Amino acid sequence: MKESQQNTTDFGYKTVAREEKASMVADVFHSVAAKYDIMNDLMSFGIHRLWKRQAIACSGVRKGHTVLDLAGGTGDLTAKFSQLVGDTGRVILGDINDSMLKVGRDKLRDLGLVSNIEYVQMNAEALPFPDNSIDVITIAFGLRNVTDKDAALRSMYRILKPGGRLLILEFSKTDSEALSKIYDFYSFNLLPTMGKLVANDSESYRYLAESIRMHPDQETLKGMMETAGFEQTSYQNMTGGIVALHRGFKY
Amino acid sequence: MINTLLTATAEHILNTILSLEPSVQASLSKVQHQVLAVEVRDWQQTIAVTFTGHSFMVFNNYQEHIDCHISASIDTLSQLKDPSQLTRLIRQGELDLEGNLHLAQAYSQIFSELDIDWAEHLSKYVGDGPAQLLVQQLRQAKQRTKQLDGVLKTTTAGLFQDELKVAIHPLEMAQFKAHTRELKQHAAVLEQRINQLLAR
Ligand SMILES: C[S@@+](CC[C@H](N)C(=O)[O-])C[C@H]1O[C@@H](n2cnc3c(N)ncnc32)[C@H](O)[C@@H]1O
Repeated sequence: MKESQQNTTDFGYKTVAREEKASMVADVFHSVAAKYDIMNDLMSFGIHRLWKRQAIACSGVRKGHTVLDLAGGTGDLTAKFSQLVGDTGRVILGDINDSMLKVGRDKLRDLGLVSNIEYVQMNAEALPFPDNSIDVITIAFGLRNVTDKDAALRSMYRILKPGGRLLILEFSKTDSEALSKIYDFYSFNLLPTMGKLVANDSESYRYLAESIRMHPDQETLKGMMETAGFEQTSYQNMTGGIVALHRGFKY
Repeated sequence: MINTLLTATAEHILNTILSLEPSVQASLSKVQHQVLAVEVRDWQQTIAVTFTGHSFMVFNNYQEHIDCHISASIDTLSQLKDPSQLTRLIRQGELDLEGNLHLAQAYSQIFSELDIDWAEHLSKYVGDGPAQLLVQQLRQAKQRTKQLDGVLKTTTAGLFQDELKVAIHPLEMAQFKAHTRELKQHAAVLEQRINQLLAR
């Protein structure tokens, strides 16, 4: 029993070999990269921007900070952090997927933001930074795609400076039954259909819906952060718990 | 969430102002990256604002380091459009200020100097003509309502006189008939072709 648990993992509702998940996730994001931003706005009715604002307000990012926007994709958070840290700080947009990084780089360049941003391809499970080197890490809508979430959390803890903090923005569990019914209908019927119409790719959006349901709930994730070493961990629910923002510190 | 939406809107307005009044950038250069928190007592809300040198960012429930915190009622805050009032309001105890006074003054200063040409601004979204018209119309809204009745009457009268009196010239009629005949022939040829194709 234990054997099989270690050798397989979830990919949406499917179970796949552990070593396969990363490349299957990669396929999903290669295929959605170009249409990612427009789909984000459509799927969430633009609310993802408000969720991200909240994450930025809680990030404590200031002038001179070094910030890692992990699984940063097309760089929405990076764009804001780049301004907040100013010329004396830097922001690293890290993602496992070079298609997403490329879309992000082009977008940020068009916004005129370049000087303090670096683009680095990386896997959240093994972050390519020295110990105690980063002030703030954010991972927005990325953790649920990571195969070994515990390893990723440990890796984030390692590279944070003492006093640094991690913010996890991720879909979560809503406690309202009505909301959860609407949300289910939305994500398993409307979402893949929109994905098909706009990005001609219903499978990827079905994966997104399924991966959201497989993600640990608020309390579980908080516990996982504590196991990885984070202190003063807390979370706040947004939009009735459809999304939660977790925060933890390293001391 | 509603508050976040409102602060997002406030941020959008500030950044619009910034793009319309580039002088704002210079006025705030000394207080770049500093965070000003404004507590609106009547709403029991605190809004934090910072200028990054690039744009404004506005947050609600901001719990991080703040360089200057002011707290007052909305009435008192609106008096800050005149920067000379700031110290008076503090002295009279109508406004609490903690932290860097210069930061509050810098923001107060930019709002006092603002003189935005809204028609110019709107024209970016809807084009020059409509923008001018819109601003004019807003100004003249009351007057227009009165005039509208009269305008409608003359317009309809004009319509009937100019448009409906037009008769068709005999030459035009002949040309029209010729066109119709030609069209009929084309249609017949086309019909034949289609029938052939279908028969295959
Ligand atoms: C849903 S997107 C989120 C992008 C962005 N943070 C946002 O909020 O718009 C998820 C991102 O996670 C990246 N990702 C998936 N697994 C990863 C891993 N193991 N390490 C780093 N990034 C990963 C994907 O390539 C994708 O760009």
